[in-house]
Amino acid sequence: MDTIIQQLLNAAQLGAVYALIALGYSMVYGIIRLINFAHGDIFMLGGFIGLIIVTHFGGLPFCLVMILAMLLTALVGVTIERVAYRKLRNAQRMSVVITALGVGIFLENLVRLLIGPETRQIPARLPTGSVVWLQQHLGVFVTWDKVLIILISLALMAVLWIIVNKTLVGTAMRAVADNASVVPLMGVNLNLIISVTFAIGSALAAAGGIFYGQAYSLDPYMGIDLGWKAFIAAVIGGIGSIEGAVIGAFLLAGVEVITVAYLSSNLKNGIAFGLLIILLLIWPSGIMGKPLLKKV
Amino acid sequence: MTCLRLEKLSVSYGAIKALRGIDLEVQEGEIVTLLGANGAGKSTTLRAISSMIPTDGGDILYQDQSIKDLPAHKLVSMGIAHVPEGRGVFPNLTVQENLALATWTNRKKDRVRSAYEKVFQTFPRLAERRTQLAGTLSGGEQQMLAMGRALMTDCRLILLDEPSMGLSPLLVKEVFRTLQEINALGFTLLLVEQNAHMALKIAHRAYVLENGRIVLEGPASELAKDPRVKEAYLGGA
Repeated sequence: MDTIIQQLLNAAQLGAVYALIALGYSMVYGIIRLINFAHGDIFMLGGFIGLIIVTHFGGLPFCLVMILAMLLTALVGVTIERVAYRKLRNAQRMSVVITALGVGIFLENLVRLLIGPETRQIPARLPTGSVVWLQQHLGVFVTWDKVLIILISLALMAVLWIIVNKTLVGTAMRAVADNASVVPLMGVNLNLIISVTFAIGSALAAAGGIFYGQAYSLDPYMGIDLGWKAFIAAVIGGIGSIEGAVIGAFLLAGVEVITVAYLSSNLKNGIAFGLLIILLLIWPSGIMGKPLLKKV
Repeated sequence: MTCLRLEKLSVSYGAIKALRGIDLEVQEGEIVTLLGANGAGKSTTLRAISSMIPTDGGDILYQDQSIKDLPAHKLVSMGIAHVPEGRGVFPNLTVQENLALATWTNRKKDRVRSAYEKVFQTFPRLAERRTQLAGTLSGGEQQMLAMGRALMTDCRLILLDEPSMGLSPLLVKEVFRTLQEINALGFTLLLVEQNAHMALKIAHRAYVLENGRIVLEGPASELAKDPRVKEAYLGGA
């Protein structure tokens, strides 16, 4: 029983990180139909920005480190869209996908050049003691940082949900997803909304990067593997759907953790990608996705 | 006072010339209709005015100010609303959200409240369907929503692209009656229509476009009697 709870919490922690990345993929795809293959590397960069802040400003409280890293990474995301993607918005889909892959490779090499290829860990800033209550009542040994990572991630997702569904900016984002060409006729600056979407997606990825760098480790190429996983999570959930990205992320993490715990860690990726194929055969548009054929 | 003036406006799509230097004027408070066959350049004219497509040459003046190089969203804050062809409602947004988005450029509480009042008075149906997704509305209701959104912006001039398209004869009548009501509220309308008969009935003045050129213009009542208009657009003499 206690190991099952442990595994569930491991899955929730990994799933939270996947979800924070997957949301960015899904939101950007939702509004401009671009699969931003540089997004995994934005996640990596966010982690490293967090590491640099922690190393150089050791005194900053953790929440300030996070906010600062999220803001800086958001700025990078917005700049990438402005410089590399905007001019290609009406070009062939393939051109901008290739550009995105290029931006990703650029970021990987930039970080390797500036910081080095070694694996790093963000020094623990979250309390790492055991959650005494869980130990006493359930006999489960869980550290606070794991619980906090899961809770903060869920809180960030809740904030995102409120922004998207309850604010006028969010309404504009959903309107762009629905019918982008009409949005300027409402007086809304389309480029501004697209920038906001990249900013939010990048900030969430940075949060994921910091959590991952504290719970596991950072290296310049981590964005490839984790980016693909998060992308799969977004597709399984139904790319373009926020709820779908979260469901897909926790589902994928659950399958991975269970595979590692009860089968073999070598099978982890095989089973994850196999799951993608099977789920997409059942739901071609993903769990929460809308069928491609739209009425209207 | 002149609300909108097009001077020698030209537009092309690649090598194809869609507008070949048209001159057109809309006075404050008028309903002006732009008639013509499919492909004559009617929608192109409206799209050029609201900066949805680039222009080739000529100028567009709004309240005696050139607006040719301004981005589309800026024009809305200057007071030009555009009800696009095919209505262009956001199907996965509620009626309320569709309307709210159109208040983007002017969020002053009093203004927004009175805009809602105006819209729900003109289209009581929209008030009933506030929480419904726009995609689930009927064609006529979607047209009301598209016009309602225009009223929600802080506009003086409304460009309408074939508001009667695809509607039943009864609804067509209702749309044109509503347009007259909106005009009576003080809005200036530039109306592109295939339904020349109805458009000439409510318009003050009219222009006829053929192959990207204005071939006829004048008071709507006179154009309605013109044999060339009768033959080509009103189903024969």
